[in-house]
Formats: sequence, structure tokens, C-alpha cells
Amino acid sequence: MLDIRGLRKVYDGHGRQVEALRNITFQVDGGEFVCVVGPSGCGKTTLLRLIGGLLRPTGGEVAVAGKTVAGPPDGLAVVFQEYGRSLFPWLKVHENVELPLKAKGMARKDREPLVRNAIEAVGLADARTAWPWQLSGGMQQRVAIARALAFQPSVLLMDEPFAAVDAQTRADLEDLVRSVWHQFGVTLLFVTHDIDEAVYLGQRVVVLSASPTTVIEDLAIDLPDDRDQLNTRADARFVELRGHVYSRIQQAKRNAPVA
Amino acid sequence: MIAVLRRTVLFLALPVVLVMLWWFTSADSIDYARPPLATIIDVFPKTWLTGRITKDILPSLARLAIGYGLALVAGVALGVLIGGSRLLRALLEPVLEFLRAIPPPVLVPILILIAGIDNTMKILVIVSGCIWPILLNTVEGVRATDEVLGDTCRSYRIGGLLRLRTFVLRSASPQIVTGARQALSIGIILMVISEMKAASEGLGFTIVQFQRGFQIPEMWSGVLVLGIIGVVLALLFRLVERRVLVWYHGVRAAERGPQ
Repeated sequence: MLDIRGLRKVYDGHGRQVEALRNITFQVDGGEFVCVVGPSGCGKTTLLRLIGGLLRPTGGEVAVAGKTVAGPPDGLAVVFQEYGRSLFPWLKVHENVELPLKAKGMARKDREPLVRNAIEAVGLADARTAWPWQLSGGMQQRVAIARALAFQPSVLLMDEPFAAVDAQTRADLEDLVRSVWHQFGVTLLFVTHDIDEAVYLGQRVVVLSASPTTVIEDLAIDLPDDRDQLNTRADARFVELRGHVYSRIQQAKRNAPVA
Repeated sequence: MIAVLRRTVLFLALPVVLVMLWWFTSADSIDYARPPLATIIDVFPKTWLTGRITKDILPSLARLAIGYGLALVAGVALGVLIGGSRLLRALLEPVLEFLRAIPPPVLVPILILIAGIDNTMKILVIVSGCIWPILLNTVEGVRATDEVLGDTCRSYRIGGLLRLRTFVLRSASPQIVTGARQALSIGIILMVISEMKAASEGLGFTIVQFQRGFQIPEMWSGVLVLGIIGVVLALLFRLVERRVLVWYHGVRAAERGPQ
């Protein structure tokens, strides 16, 4: 479903070249839940923007469902980190969720059930007609997730979506993402700097090095599919996997040239 | 209820005091240029309520509405074009600064030559003054659209008219409203000035006629009419603003709110 081959991105500005991504290659199958984790500043957001067609690569290519990405691809939705800035403050919750469907040219009677369904799936049925700025950060991010779900993407990208919410909200949202992934059968690529979160959520974890970035490991997470905050995080296998990813990232940081 | 009462009292307090001051200080005036307020109010009904509403006030207001409306449409349209293009901005900035610096009243003689002395000239004078604050504020507003929201539009393929309506114009609406408010007071001034030369009806014309005919209380009553029109239009503007910018005030209040 997602095919990333030899992806390279060099930023060129003010006479200084910065190689954000050196060589990224990995695949994501249809319906898979893959987390990408790496040290901060390793170009995770750059990677996600390249996959989302919001940036052009310097080298290599991204293909979504077999088609090379040259602009925002069909059937791909993005949930951004800055929930407060990705919702339209002048549209109510349900209008925010509905807008991309309007852009698709979908008829009102087809839009309505999708919007209702998506808002219910993220547990915001009571806040349908609220303004985004009346909601807490966690609820705003739920709206952004509902908008992405209503869009019925085949691929959903999430860029550190829970980096700015408190720990308890974050745990709730993690479980929400697992549940909507099951419910909607979407292919999910989740970018985070949080190792625990990556191991807890994903079926696979792609570990990135420090910048200039390459893939240092593509790790299958062989935890049972039924996960919960208490038992999964206490599971010996979870602790082992987390420790493994942690040591790989530490190692990558040590080997990185001093910036 | 008490809040409404409080606001009404605050709104009216100073005007009432000023009118009373005027009333008592002018009561014994024998200066022909400054007749007692009682005399001015006395001539008010027979001066204005006997046909002048349709003959002078309504034509003036109609020209103001048309001129202001044209300036609003043209200012916002050009502002969106210029604000959205770095090339256009660089190209047009010096010209705009030059044109903006020309006081619209000096255009009256020129516009009389070009457009004659009828309504067209007067409307053009109003447009030529009202358009600048709207245009320049729109340019600023369109330039300052949020990047994350822009990315959201791109990634959900919200484009064309839908993007213009729900993203560009709404993002810029606080600035557009600021420009429109400035333009409204400029418009009222120009409505009067455009009628002081080469006119046969209108508020400005009537006031000048009274002055030339030594009908001084009538002249003052015309000034009162203008003041009332200004207050009513400002109140109407505030009503519209409150509807259009309800989200903006909400966001501001949410940002100020308890942390």
C-alpha cells in the first residue's frame, strides 16, 4: 500500500545544505499499523510530509497504492501534530469533519452518515455542534481524527498527534487510535518520538537513526492484538521490545556526527 | 438583563451629558453662527421630515451603499489576488503606496471631468477613498494565513472556490473587517464631500445650501442628521461584525482564558 524507496531530502537554504533524510526504504502493507520512531530532530515530520505529498523529495520516491506521489495522493489523510491549527476555528465540529467530503463533491445525503459515524467513533457525539476552541486539546485532536476517518482514506498518516496533550488524555487517544484502526480497517503510519507509544500501538516499528537519517531497524511487534494500557505495558515482551528499541536509538545517537 | 442595562447606560451617558452641555451653554446664544440647540431641534422636523428624506437623505445613502459595496467587493477581490502572490505584491507595492497617499477629495475635480457631475462621479469618489483600507488589510490578512491550515487544505484537496470561501476569506476576515470599519467612516465623509460641488441634491449639498442661505439652525440640524447616520451605521456594522467574527472573538477569549 505504501512503498518508500531510497527517499532522500536535502534542504537548501542560505548557502547551507542540510541533509534531513539520507536514505529511507520501507514498505507498509494494506491494513497494517506501522509506527515510525526516531530521536528528536531526525526528520520524522519531513518524512511524513514527503509521504503526504506536501514536500518534494530530493531523491528516491514514495508510492501509494502503486502510484508515485507527486502531490497529495488520493485516499490519503493526515492528522497533524498541531491540532489547534489544523481545525478551522470558524467551522463547528461537524462542519470541520464534513469539509473534505464537500471538497470531494459528495452529495449531502452521503456526507451526513459518514460525518455522524466518524464523530461517534471518536466519542464526540455530544460535541457535534461545538466550536473547536470550546474543546480541550485532546478533544480537538479527536475531531481531527474524525475528519480523517470520515474522509475514508486507504492510508492514514499521523504526525506525533499526541505530543501536545497530557499523559492521561494521551493514553485514551492511543486506545482510540487502536480501536478506530480495527473498526475502519485503514492502513496507518504513525510517527512519534515516544518509544513506549510506538511499541504499544504498532504491529511494526520502523526505527530511524539521527540525522542524516536512515532506517536502522524494522521490527515486528509480536504482542497480542488485544492491547490495553495496564496489561500490555506490564507484559515482559513489551518491556523487552521497548528496551531493544531504546538501545538502538541510543546507539544511533552516539554514532551520529555531532551537529 | 442587568448587563444589558449597564451597557445601555454606559453607551448613552456621555452623549447625554454632551447634549445637555450644548443645550445649556447655547441657550442664550445670540451669535447667529451658534444658535441655541433648542432652535436647532425646533427646526429639525420641518427641515428633514417633510420630503427631504426621500429627496436628499436616501439618494446620499444609496450612493454611499453602492460606493462602499463596490469598494468592498473590489478591495477584497484585489486583496486576495495580491495577497496570494509574492510577485504581484512586489510589483504593486510602490504603486499602491502612491495611490493611497492621494486624498480622495482632490479627485473630485478630476472625476467631474472624466465622469461628469452625476451619480457616477460621486460614487467613484466614495470608492476611491474606501477601497484602500479594505485592499491593504485584505492583503495582510491573506498573507498571514496559517501554514498548518494551508497544509490541511492541500492534503484534503480542498481547492478552488471552496478553499477561497472556507479558508482564505475566513482566515483574512478579521483584517477585512478592520479595513471595512475604517472604510465606512471614510465613506461617510466622502459621501458629504462629493455632494458639496456640482450637486443638486444630497445631504452635503443641502447643508451647503442652508449655509449660503443663512439658514443656520437648519444647517446645524443637517450636521445632526449626519451624526445620527454615523451612529446608526456604526451600530449596524457592529451587529454584522459580531456575526461574522463570532469565532474570532471566541478563539481570543479561549486563549486569554484560565491556563
